[in-house]
Amino acid sequence: MTTPLLQAAELTRHYSVRSGAWPFGRTATLRAVDGVSFTLPAGRTLGLVGESGCGKSTTAKLVLGLVPPTRGEVRVMGETLPPAGTARWRALRRSIQMVFQDPLGALDRRVPVGDQITEPLIIHRIGTPAQRRDKAVATMAAVGLKLDHFDRYPHELSGGQRQRIVLARALVLEPKLIVCDEPISALDVSIQAQVVNLLVDLQAQLGIAYLFISHDLRMIRQVSHEVAVMYLGRIVEQGEPDSLLAQPAHPYTQALISAIPTASTRTRRGRIILKGDPPNPIDLPSGCAFHTRCAFAVARCRTETPALRVMADGRRVACHLADTNSPRAVA
Amino acid sequence: MATAAVSLAPVQKTAHARFFEAWPPLTIAALAWIAGMVATALAADVLAPYPFTALDLKARLAPAVLLGGSWAHPFGTDELGRDVLSRLIMSIRMSLLIAFFGTMIAAVLGTTIGFVAAHFRRVVEAVVLMLIDFQASMPFLIIALSVLAFMGNSLSLFVVLMGFHSWERYARITRGLTISANEQGYASAVRQLGASSLRIYGLHVLPNIASTLIVSMTLTFPETILLESGLSFLGLGVQPPLTSLGNMVGYGREYLTRAPWIMLAPSAVIVLTTLSISIVGDWLRDRLDPTLR
Amino acid sequence: MMRYLAGRVLRGLFTILLVMTFAFVVLRLSGDPALLIMTVDAPPEAIAAFRTSWGLDRPLWDQYVTYVLRAAIGDLGNSMRDGRPAIELVLDRVPATLAITIPAFLLKIGIGVPAGIYAALHRNSLADRLTMLVSVAGFTVPSFVLALVLVLVFSVKLGWLPSSGSETLAHAILPIVTLGTAGAAVIARFTRSAMLEVLGQPYIRAASAKGLTWRRVVTDHALPNAAIPTTTIIGFMIGALIAGAVVVESVFAWPGVGRLLVVAVANRDLAVVQALLIIIAATMVAANILVDLVYGWIDPRMRTRHPAGAQ
Repeated sequence: MTTPLLQAAELTRHYSVRSGAWPFGRTATLRAVDGVSFTLPAGRTLGLVGESGCGKSTTAKLVLGLVPPTRGEVRVMGETLPPAGTARWRALRRSIQMVFQDPLGALDRRVPVGDQITEPLIIHRIGTPAQRRDKAVATMAAVGLKLDHFDRYPHELSGGQRQRIVLARALVLEPKLIVCDEPISALDVSIQAQVVNLLVDLQAQLGIAYLFISHDLRMIRQVSHEVAVMYLGRIVEQGEPDSLLAQPAHPYTQALISAIPTASTRTRRGRIILKGDPPNPIDLPSGCAFHTRCAFAVARCRTETPALRVMADGRRVACHLADTNSPRAVA
Repeated sequence: MATAAVSLAPVQKTAHARFFEAWPPLTIAALAWIAGMVATALAADVLAPYPFTALDLKARLAPAVLLGGSWAHPFGTDELGRDVLSRLIMSIRMSLLIAFFGTMIAAVLGTTIGFVAAHFRRVVEAVVLMLIDFQASMPFLIIALSVLAFMGNSLSLFVVLMGFHSWERYARITRGLTISANEQGYASAVRQLGASSLRIYGLHVLPNIASTLIVSMTLTFPETILLESGLSFLGLGVQPPLTSLGNMVGYGREYLTRAPWIMLAPSAVIVLTTLSISIVGDWLRDRLDPTLR
Repeated sequence: MMRYLAGRVLRGLFTILLVMTFAFVVLRLSGDPALLIMTVDAPPEAIAAFRTSWGLDRPLWDQYVTYVLRAAIGDLGNSMRDGRPAIELVLDRVPATLAITIPAFLLKIGIGVPAGIYAALHRNSLADRLTMLVSVAGFTVPSFVLALVLVLVFSVKLGWLPSSGSETLAHAILPIVTLGTAGAAVIARFTRSAMLEVLGQPYIRAASAKGLTWRRVVTDHALPNAAIPTTTIIGFMIGALIAGAVVVESVFAWPGVGRLLVVAVANRDLAVVQALLIIIAATMVAANILVDLVYGWIDPRMRTRHPAGAQ
């Protein structure tokens, strides 16, 4: 077996937070990411889905090396990701790029578009100025930007075009992996599909892998080869998107899927309304973190944390009841 | 044709009105005054009719032209027969130079400290914030006077002292804007590309906050002129034989009854210059930096 | 509230300590004070005696601790010129300074606040424009120029008032007017913008919509809310009273603290400068704490912090 492009092994990130004013309050531990493992082969897409605050974005930052893991490690092409800022990190980061949620915020409004796309090449000292310019122009063409956008400023362009700039800035280094953190949620619905199609096309042409983070299950299904559902810092279910969406095994996944709005009024399905808000991540419930909101919870769920187990169809689920409570169709 | 003529007229009017909206007459006058002062400072040696220390003992305390004097000394002379106009021109150069370098030192120092505080956070930031509070809570005139008492006076020390006048404002602005840039947006986007901190602060953050900093300069520049002239007036700033605007007013105070022209000319220059810079500053703030409004 | 006050006082004491440290460090940076203060031809014994009396022969940390402890009991050293305790010299001058700064302060508020309110209520009127013009001038005309112009007009040309000295009540008029005018301009400008800000708020529209007379809207709703930011700026002015008096006292030869400072700086009487620095810092700190207390009294949002006074 070849080494996968990206491997996360028991990735954990805790933050200590203080409640109350110094020196009174007490420090507590916030488990933003708690033992997340996955592998992502080259040219494939892993979708990470979950509510806000579930640890998706922290996972992205860990993968990029922007925050150091408390435990566990990220391996890129078999090599452990070195701490941010080191020369080796910088070199490895050439092959991992990022696309942001808010393209206007991610762009410097005082720098022309072309210069921003060229900047990664300057930072990584690649090529002569003329070569850099050619490369930037070619990349702009690849993402569907016109040459006359080169000297324009970000605020002069539309939302979809700005996200293409951000994408071009990521692509210009010819990365093997792009981490997309909610890349389309700030865009108009009509633009979303265009950008998603562009991402899929680029993958087909260039063989890029995506770590695609979103709270939108339908969008995840369109782009992903595999989906991981996160809840409070852990992966609760992971598998191939069609079967996962059709027959969710974890009660939390079931609830997420039932929340997808449908246009049809005929197929009115039993919508699962989750009780209450997600628990305070500083003060996680014992056992299965979801048991406070789970309709099927039994005594065991309160005491014992379920491990991620492989099911018969190859899917992985972290639920004590996954065998008995057979996946129910959500039609 | 007739309709074209009718529709043309209002268009021309609005263009006119638009010009004066963008360039109010008061602002134009203020800019002209500042330009005149800068030109005077640059060409002081050429413009001054006499050497500023030259004595003309035959024409001591000669009045200015407007007060019945002769054109030989249009602004009159002082107790030693020195030409007030020449001294005024040299004083303008000295005061503007001190205010310019003082403002520059404050801007560079403050901005750097602001970047340092925003970059390192934690202890470094706490220390910087404490210094900012300290500086903001003590009247700077008192601090300046103590430093002059303790360390003596020299022109270079005096200029550096003026540079310490308003650093905390630049530091506060830079720190605040840099922290917000670092936490989200373009700075973190460039940082995650692998850019060095120097590149991020110099090429991305600084250009983005430059307009706010420039507007602050128009606020601190007149304050520095006032501080310099106040200290020089008290005899604790620029020392003779050098001369500055405040120095001239201080000297003219002694001859208030006999030769008021000695202090009137430099006083008018101080007031008009600070007023002009304030007017231009307000105008710049409206144009450049909507966040400060 | 008590705990909050205790925290404020503690921070204030820390600021004063910071000022003292600043004076200590700058003084030591300047070289040997003994050589600064003594003439070049002073006998070596005299220099040695001076050093001992100032403790300059002891280690730095020892000097620092002694200096702080002595200051804590009010001993700020003796004047290097006439040997009297520095603190006594300073305190002797305080009444004279207060005699002009307090009336000037009342003048500032008495003119500045009503002018600012009037200007805001009659926005863009002639009176408003005039107020703004004068207030810009108040910022750009340095106090020594204003003082000299007043002297030129009222003493030299008209001969109504004495130009300098402190013998009679009439001597105090020009210093008070000079100090008051500039401050009034600042307060007027600030009050005006605070009022305009408040008048633009939805609750003012709501108050007039429910049928209150405009007078009631202004007195019951606009003024109390505009008072909050205005108090802050006035509080800062209390602290800066002495600093503002430095130039004016010098122009009018008024024997106050400010003039003492200028003379001490010119004579390089370091003990007196140091004592003044610390006393001015203490005044600033006390004024700021006072402002905070007044704030708590006029701003109900601050009052709710106090458990008993909640609601």
